[in-house]
Amino acid sequence: MARKKITEFRAKSLLIPNYQGIRITPDSDISKEVAKLQDTQTYVVKIDHGVKKRMKQGLILLDIKRDAVPDAIETLKAKGYTNFLIEPFLRYNPTEERYLSLQRVRDGIMILYAPQGGIEIEDRPESLIAETIHAPQELAAFAEKTGLTPSLLQTIYEEFEENYYAFFEINPLVLHDGKFLPLDIACEVDDAAELLVHHRWSADDFPIMTAKTEEEENIDILKTKSAASFSFVPLNLNGSIFMLLSGGGVSIVLADEVYNLGYGKELANYGEYSGNPNAEETYLYTKNVLQLLLKSTATKKVLLIGGGVANFTDIAKTFTGVIHALSEVADQMQQQHVTVFVRRGGPNQAEGLAKMHNFLQENNLLGAVCGPDTPLPDIVAQMVKTI
Amino acid sequence: MIDIQTLRNTPHTIIAIGTYPAIIQAMIDFDFLSGKDKPSIALILAEGRNHERYFWGKEEILIPVVHEVHSIPDSLQKQITFFVNFSSGRRTKDTTLEILDALPGLIGGALFAEKVPEKHSLRMYAHAKKLGKFIVGPASIGLLLPGSVKLGAIGGTDARQLISADVFQRGSVAVLSASGGMTNELINAVTRSNKRISFSLAFGGERFPVTTPTEAFLAAEKDLETKTIIYFGELGGSDEYDLAQLMQSGSITKPILCYIAGSVAEMFDTPPQFGHAKALAQSKDETARGKRDMLEKAGAQVAESFTEFLSMINALPVDQFEEKSYAHALQLFASRHEALITSSISGDANGVTGLLHEDLLSFVQKRSFAGIVCSLFLGRNEVSPELEEFVDFVLRLLVDHGPNVSGAMNTIVTARAGRDIVSSLVSGLLTIGPRFGGAINQAAENLLLGVTTGQDAADFVESFASTRQYIAGIGHKKYRSDLPDPRVKALKAFGEKLEQKRFLQYALAIEKITTQKKGNLILNVDGAIAAILLDILSEKEHYSDQELQTLVESEFFNAFFILSRSVGFLAHFLDQKRIDEGIFRLPDDLILHI
Repeated sequence: MARKKITEFRAKSLLIPNYQGIRITPDSDISKEVAKLQDTQTYVVKIDHGVKKRMKQGLILLDIKRDAVPDAIETLKAKGYTNFLIEPFLRYNPTEERYLSLQRVRDGIMILYAPQGGIEIEDRPESLIAETIHAPQELAAFAEKTGLTPSLLQTIYEEFEENYYAFFEINPLVLHDGKFLPLDIACEVDDAAELLVHHRWSADDFPIMTAKTEEEENIDILKTKSAASFSFVPLNLNGSIFMLLSGGGVSIVLADEVYNLGYGKELANYGEYSGNPNAEETYLYTKNVLQLLLKSTATKKVLLIGGGVANFTDIAKTFTGVIHALSEVADQMQQQHVTVFVRRGGPNQAEGLAKMHNFLQENNLLGAVCGPDTPLPDIVAQMVKTI
Repeated sequence: MIDIQTLRNTPHTIIAIGTYPAIIQAMIDFDFLSGKDKPSIALILAEGRNHERYFWGKEEILIPVVHEVHSIPDSLQKQITFFVNFSSGRRTKDTTLEILDALPGLIGGALFAEKVPEKHSLRMYAHAKKLGKFIVGPASIGLLLPGSVKLGAIGGTDARQLISADVFQRGSVAVLSASGGMTNELINAVTRSNKRISFSLAFGGERFPVTTPTEAFLAAEKDLETKTIIYFGELGGSDEYDLAQLMQSGSITKPILCYIAGSVAEMFDTPPQFGHAKALAQSKDETARGKRDMLEKAGAQVAESFTEFLSMINALPVDQFEEKSYAHALQLFASRHEALITSSISGDANGVTGLLHEDLLSFVQKRSFAGIVCSLFLGRNEVSPELEEFVDFVLRLLVDHGPNVSGAMNTIVTARAGRDIVSSLVSGLLTIGPRFGGAINQAAENLLLGVTTGQDAADFVESFASTRQYIAGIGHKKYRSDLPDPRVKALKAFGEKLEQKRFLQYALAIEKITTQKKGNLILNVDGAIAAILLDILSEKEHYSDQELQTLVESEFFNAFFILSRSVGFLAHFLDQKRIDEGIFRLPDDLILHI
């Protein structure tokens, strides 16, 4: 469904036989790992979070002596990172830097190569040689044109196909002593293929972006266990407007409407559930959103339960889950004077909306409950008026 | 490439791959409410039972289910024009390619699953292009042509939704979007403002939809009934860039009303993932702002907010349509209830008992007992005289085989223990199995396999010999090739009235080989009955090999022995009651202690 980055450690382990890089995770015993290093050479210490432009941001530390490695890790940790990679440092001439990337496009795999690689590559788009490869036989001509070793290109291409990569970038690719060495790799996989790659990579290899709240982690677990889809993105967790939205498109429309009315900064979260989850799954999702709502320090809080006219998501069933979660914290929500605004349509909407209306009224949480006859923007307009 | 006019005018016969009952029922409701005389969905290719139950109006109907592509009936193979694939994301590609290759009459179909790998989508894209067929999706709620065809969840899964959106009457507005929810939202917005859709297509939120947005727009341009195109887009990707080019080059001339969502992302330096898989702007051109400007420049009417988008839709000229009431249909739907059992052979309603749709008395007066047995066992009102005669002979032949055999022994022992008639009969019946009386079905299974796979008889025998298995239907304790079984001779005489005798010939070819190994490995009564029954069913009743396989799976071929021998067991029970010998106990010297 989506392209996901994997760690540089995993991408390199898959590409390079006997890869020597050492990964540091929050569980690693750093002194034990450092003891594996030698004092006859120096090292590179870099973050491994799928972050772009690491060099420019100072997130790659070069030429580090063994004993200085723990300090280097601490330096990077202080910037908020938790996962690192230690590799032998290679001294080379900047003119030896090349750029190579592969990307899946509609009619094949687009390969980009530049004879001058490095961190300035984006400033020199004219130096790129681009070609879309439709079959492996076409690689030889590209290798000839660029001077790349045919076997290296072949290996990368095969890896790309077998591992269901979507994007693969080596920058710089260093041509040193007649050999091509991949120094930094960025790699995106197609996460829909996780069950097809025989554990060569898995969801465990998706880099940890930022520290997550307990609630977000709960939603992540729910995601992996359900056939329906759930997403949750924290925006301003101390904001006023919490959203429980359904549908990929409708959820952006509702977020847009809040933003258009000038309340963008009040958006606590973005996210959506869709694909007909059952009542239990909807309950778990809602429960976690509500926990975050109760923790927000905003003085006036609202909850928007919004969605379009669902095609196959059962409104009565999903609302049963939502009401279950609401009922557990209804007292606290009342104390905090939270009001709830609902706009939704779809299979069994009459039953679902009526239940929701009754529940919110009985618990003194009612903002408004509307069906599909109320245009999407109207519910947002009604809601922001109360903030 | 998708051609809307063709899709409207072609007969709509749909196969579902995998099943999603709520969506399939909604597709059937759509047909019913559109005034069609039967459901478009003709077959489901899925695991599970031989049929699934749905409602046509108020009545329950059965939609047949097949488990393999090669089991699709010949009659349907050319008729099926559309498919809707509900398989999982992982299985979608393989099942789609399989169906595209198997059904020559297919025009195209829709893919429901999310999480289809990009590589798989592109493989389907290349294949569909090569074959000239269309595929909507993956991750799509499908394609909707009012009154003609609803391929997927699009428009809703609840009849009330379909009615309130009135997706039965054709109008002038095409609704296009990647987003399923917004597609439906906009279909409703069109209806609420007194217009109707000409068609709607949701290409799905994946990175590589098989039917590209460009193709969908060109289809709308080409469609004579579409006057206006309504489009909902999101930030991310380059679809709108392609669209703008089509407009600038004059390939698209119809008015386009659109809204590109995602201005909320402007708040962030590095925006989080909004919406669908591809909704992440990677450059300025991919932001909502960038896309809006580009489309506006190309001549589209671009809304700045959803509110404005709705007013634009409202301002479009209204379509001509009839005010229809669906209250009666809704009443029918509301009174639906599922039957507890399904029967195809008999009924007893309003005091009239019927067998196979005929009054009981008239049915039985016209037929011999064997004829009734054949009709009821097969569920067919009429059967051939050859089958009736043969079954009559078999029923007489199998009636009893002396008190020594297992079943009769058990009946006798039970009767002598003082039990009643039913208990004694049942204790005999419970003995019937692979070693006693139950070999006819096994023999039929073997012969069917051998004949349909075209396996050489020698190889067939060898495959059993090499695994040290007996061949059901072959071998007798007493009779040998030089001392033939007179009963088998009498059975074989029925074969002379047949033409091809595929199964009997095969059975005889097997016998020829086995008797060379050992004289008593002759075709026995079980084998002969199985072979001739198969031949009669095939030649006189016109059963296909697939249908014969279904009979084998239901143990049909054992039914005649069970029925006939029940007479023998009952006779033994009654005999014992007359004789009245008291309880049976085995003498010690007839037990071997080890």
